[in-house]
Amino acid sequence: MTHQLLAVRGLSAGYGPLRVLHDIDFTISEGERLAIVGLNGHGKTTLFRAIMQLVGWQRGSVTFDGVEIGGTRSLGEGRYTPGIVRLGIAMTPQGDAIFPGLTVREHLDCGAHARSAWRERARRRERVYQLFPQLETLQDALVGKLSGGERRMVSIGRALMSDARLYLIDEPTLGLAPKVSRRVIEALVNIPIEGKAMVIAEQNVAVLTGAVDRMIGMHAGRLRGEVGHVGLE
Amino acid sequence: MMDASLFTYALYLAAIYSLMAIGISLLWSSVGMVNMAHGATFAISGYAAYFAADWMMPLVKAAVDGPQSMTVLAILTMAVGIVSGAIFGIVIYLVAFLPIHDKPNFAVRSLIITLALNLASVQALLYFFGPQQKALPRFLGSGRMDLFGIPVRIDQLVTIVTTVVLLGLVLFWLRVSRKGLEIRAVMQNSEGAALCGISTRWTALPIMMLTGALAGVAAVLLSQNIFVNPTAGATPLIKGLTIALLGGLGSVPGAVLGAILIGFLEAATGIIPFLGQRYVLVVQFAFIVIMLVIRPRGLGGLLDETRE
Repeated sequence: MTHQLLAVRGLSAGYGPLRVLHDIDFTISEGERLAIVGLNGHGKTTLFRAIMQLVGWQRGSVTFDGVEIGGTRSLGEGRYTPGIVRLGIAMTPQGDAIFPGLTVREHLDCGAHARSAWRERARRRERVYQLFPQLETLQDALVGKLSGGERRMVSIGRALMSDARLYLIDEPTLGLAPKVSRRVIEALVNIPIEGKAMVIAEQNVAVLTGAVDRMIGMHAGRLRGEVGHVGLE
Repeated sequence: MMDASLFTYALYLAAIYSLMAIGISLLWSSVGMVNMAHGATFAISGYAAYFAADWMMPLVKAAVDGPQSMTVLAILTMAVGIVSGAIFGIVIYLVAFLPIHDKPNFAVRSLIITLALNLASVQALLYFFGPQQKALPRFLGSGRMDLFGIPVRIDQLVTIVTTVVLLGLVLFWLRVSRKGLEIRAVMQNSEGAALCGISTRWTALPIMMLTGALAGVAAVLLSQNIFVNPTAGATPLIKGLTIALLGGLGSVPGAVLGAILIGFLEAATGIIPFLGQRYVLVVQFAFIVIMLVIRPRGLGGLLDETRE
């Protein structure tokens, strides 16, 4: 039996008076790739931000590996996020050039910020370069000067540098050309996730076909059930 | 025409101002806080340096012979200035950052708290030490030396060299160390840094210690030319703040460029016959206002966009 990694139960969240998420329920187990699909503005990003404690308020329960990381406590936005990252969740946000003034190497090293990961950052960087070979030649380039696809690779690479066991990848193909989108999705499929899991939020259902184990539709801040079983090829 | 000694004087002013402005600018871009207690840090470090120098002078003179005793005293006093500035940085962190950093309107709240801390510190200094001015020994030297045929005041040269070396070390540390990378990540995007596991809450502490230490260095260097008194930090605070604004809050190169421009402007204004020293502040502020009208983001200021 596979170990359940993340369980979201009755999660509602929003910003100020605005409630964006309504009673979200889903789980993900080790070795699983799950996609949350839906149109822009229907709450996919807010769901990821709620898991990372980056929204204004939330109710309900989010447990990661049996540890409650959500709930009803009064939260400052982002105050508990570093702790959640240290527990083992890595999120790559939309608009992913989060440090445009850092070089590719520095950007990746930020992902290995934890003391244990920092010591072996060179080895981890090599692993990322194996997955995205073009990043090796660009390692001294500023991230803000890269193309959209390259920035997306840096962002995913940064998540891989950490000790994460759950990857939350938000809109990996947003704004990318179809060819580049396919390369990014291929890279996500090639990431080994034994003992780990991955949730991808995406608008483009077609690009995910064959790339994830299951898809859940999201509309108006509610999960609408599985879109259809799409096994890995 | 600006002569060589005026050129050195302008660089000397630029060195002191850049130490203050970089502190203010770094703190704004990393934790989003305008530190109005930076002047208090300057004054407190000046007092700590004064009392340390006063206490250590006979000991150092007894232990070290000749002119070397002044060098040793200068190094020890500088160390005391740096440490006391860093310690006051911790106080600002505990009082004006930690309790409110995740509350709404942090920027305004922290500005008010640091302003209150500044006023309280000045009053405390007045209460304990009185309004009398304290003069530090001139351990950086008082004579002139010949540098490539140009007569240069030794204290000004030492100030310029010390500032360049210290700022160089700080920038090098920011570039190569793990903590430096954390600070630069927080400066560019605090939410992105949080998503890497970097806590602004804990990164702010070394930043405040660092900026406090820079103010401590400025206090010791400037105390060779001005007296230490409870309000000694007011002018450096105003100059540091306006130069940080001119440079574009958050931009270290902008702050350095702003400090150089203001340093030269101050030196040049002083020798213009119909202006002179009385009009230094007027000319400086007029220049800053015009610059900010032309370039609202300041000389650098590119990081503001990143923070948004």
